[in-house]
Amino acid sequence: MNIVVCVKYVPDATADRKFEDDNTVDRVGVDGLLSELDEYAVEQALQIKDKQADDTEVTVLSVGPENATDAVRKALQMGADKGVHVVDDAIAGSDALATSLVLAEAIKKIPHDLVVCGMASTDGGMGVVPAMLSERLGVPGVTLGSEISVEGETVKIRRDGDASTDTIEGSLPLVLSVTDQSGEARYPSFKGIMAAKKKPVETWSLSDLGVDAGSVGAGAAWSVVESTDARPPRTAGEIVTDEDGSGAKALVDFLASKKFI
Amino acid sequence: MTETAFTESEERLALRAAVRKLAGGYGRDYFVQQARSGGKTTDLWLEIGKHGYLGINIPEEYGGGGGGIGDVAAVCEELAAQGCPLLMMVVSPAICGTVISRFGTDEQKRRWLPGIADGTQTMAFAITEPDAGTNSHNITTTARRDADGWVLNGRKIYISGVDEAAHVLVVARTEDARTGKLKPCLFVVPTDADGFEYSPIPMEIVSPEQQFSVFIDDVRLPADALVGDEDAGLVQLFAGLNPERIMAASFSTGLARFALDKAVAYVKEREVFGAPIGSHQGLAHPLAESKIEIELARLMTQKAAALYDAGDDMGAGEAANMAKYAAAEAACDAADRAVQAHGGNGITQEYGVAGLLVAARAGRIAPVSREMILNFVGMHSLGLPKSY
Ligand SMILES: Cc1cc2nc3c(=O)[nH]c(=O)nc-3n(C[C@H](O)[C@H](O)[C@H](O)COP(=O)(O)OP(=O)(O)OC[C@H]3O[C@@H](n4cnc5c(N)ncnc54)[C@H](O)[C@@H]3O)c2cc1C
Repeated sequence: MNIVVCVKYVPDATADRKFEDDNTVDRVGVDGLLSELDEYAVEQALQIKDKQADDTEVTVLSVGPENATDAVRKALQMGADKGVHVVDDAIAGSDALATSLVLAEAIKKIPHDLVVCGMASTDGGMGVVPAMLSERLGVPGVTLGSEISVEGETVKIRRDGDASTDTIEGSLPLVLSVTDQSGEARYPSFKGIMAAKKKPVETWSLSDLGVDAGSVGAGAAWSVVESTDARPPRTAGEIVTDEDGSGAKALVDFLASKKFI
Repeated sequence: MTETAFTESEERLALRAAVRKLAGGYGRDYFVQQARSGGKTTDLWLEIGKHGYLGINIPEEYGGGGGGIGDVAAVCEELAAQGCPLLMMVVSPAICGTVISRFGTDEQKRRWLPGIADGTQTMAFAITEPDAGTNSHNITTTARRDADGWVLNGRKIYISGVDEAAHVLVVARTEDARTGKLKPCLFVVPTDADGFEYSPIPMEIVSPEQQFSVFIDDVRLPADALVGDEDAGLVQLFAGLNPERIMAASFSTGLARFALDKAVAYVKEREVFGAPIGSHQGLAHPLAESKIEIELARLMTQKAAALYDAGDDMGAGEAANMAKYAAAEAACDAADRAVQAHGGNGITQEYGVAGLLVAARAGRIAPVSREMILNFVGMHSLGLPKSY
């Protein structure tokens, strides 16, 4: 089986996030890493590989700036077999539609039975790329799986909703997205880290994919970010003191006002 | 980052990041909780073993990672920097792992190295005796040959992690070389051997890893408990010294980073005269000094490791000693400054800073004291007369 995992290089959430002059996320001047939500996708792909026949191959695919090779490398350290990095200046500022276009065209050039994505990116957070990919590739989209199994040609997931738990099945080829409940991602082992050095990573440009530069990038985006504001500093919170026995009621009132109870 | 001879490789940095994340999941609270409740850090130990971070420096054919001392030192440092300093990393893979990898017979390597590598068969190291600490020529633990092996007698102190170890690598001398200049022999002794007993020494260090007095009374060992051959003991001991010092240095720089991180976070938040106390140079400068001292010590540690891994034992010796010295000093300073920056909070258990003082301080004494390093530098680097 051939598995493609789409991974995104995102700014480190623990560091300061910055924006470019055009309000797109600064992905060049900051420390970045493999999006944590995509680590779950890599993990599921590797678990499927572990259970399948030996010839299963996992390819990681990332569309992003020069540094995005770090995200590809990290996935290779975790155990993926090879990498593809699509990098092109024209891609900067792309929205989800354009990103899914580039990803889809790249996936078409890689042998694939199963495409695995995270549930959303930790920076953009829209969570629509997996659905767009399934549309563009013309295959089923089985999304937001928190438990995944593959039997022969059938992929089965459990999707946890607020009111119900769904079991969804699809047959290969398909696009799968997995949640942060699907199972902790593994740490790369020392051997994995050393082995990744020798794994092949191909670099493709838009012209390699036959994608017109005019159909991607900030200019082609259907949506624009008009302004950004830093989150206000955390406020001190409310302290309930209890001198006359009214503390419990004050606590309950507070929780009720926030709709926790 | 640009890679130069003065920076670490992409793989080394990735290893650091992976260990940082794994250890961060346990964190200082876990470590202190285990220490104060008499628990152990076995979960963390086995997990780093499982990921191949523990036995990195052990050859691949014996279950290790086939990497260098620089790799395993990076692991040791990152663990400490997350508040989980594991002393047994210095002892089991670095000292014992190195000695056995380099001098054990093939059969001995097969028997002991895989367990050291994955953490299931930790090995402690016992050289110090009540009357032989700094001066190891005074060792009196003695091995007598008998029909089918050896009989060992002696006493050791301050031996780390005996309770968690499957074996102890014991430094002794043979009966026919009982006095005079040490001609050591190294024996692997199972901790459950008849006649082998140990009891904990109450220490002021906040750590689940403890030190022990060890009593060895007529412990019978098979002939092949002796590592390598009888005449190679001194060379074996020397082979363990550089890894030991490089690891001890990394342990200290990690501890220093942890203390400094805590201090920096605190002085950014704490306001006394209407501004964060970090805005006062009286606090900011000492912390900046610590940052410099730590980075210098790390650089020297990495140089020592690079020389050692390139096969230059002699060149590594001077660097490893200097790194060990600088790292212990940096850790003592950082811990002291972190306490000061916290004011009264610095002494509480809740803030957990004062507990670092003794751990950092131990780095000035063990495994080799700062005085002995200064003696070494005086004699070997400066060519001054021997003072003892
Ligand atoms: C936390 C901890 C863990 C340890 N773990 C182990 C272990 O796992 N295995 C093991 O074998 N040992 C272990 N040790 C023992 C450690 O290696 C010794 O404590 C150390 O070698 C010093 O020996 P000593 O304590 O006997 O001090 P002493 O030799 O009594 O020295 C006392 C002081 O005199 C100074 N001094 C001595 N001679 C000179 C000289 N010529 N010039 C200048 N100053 C001198 C020393 O520097 C020191 O400051 C551990 C110790 C500690 C604190």
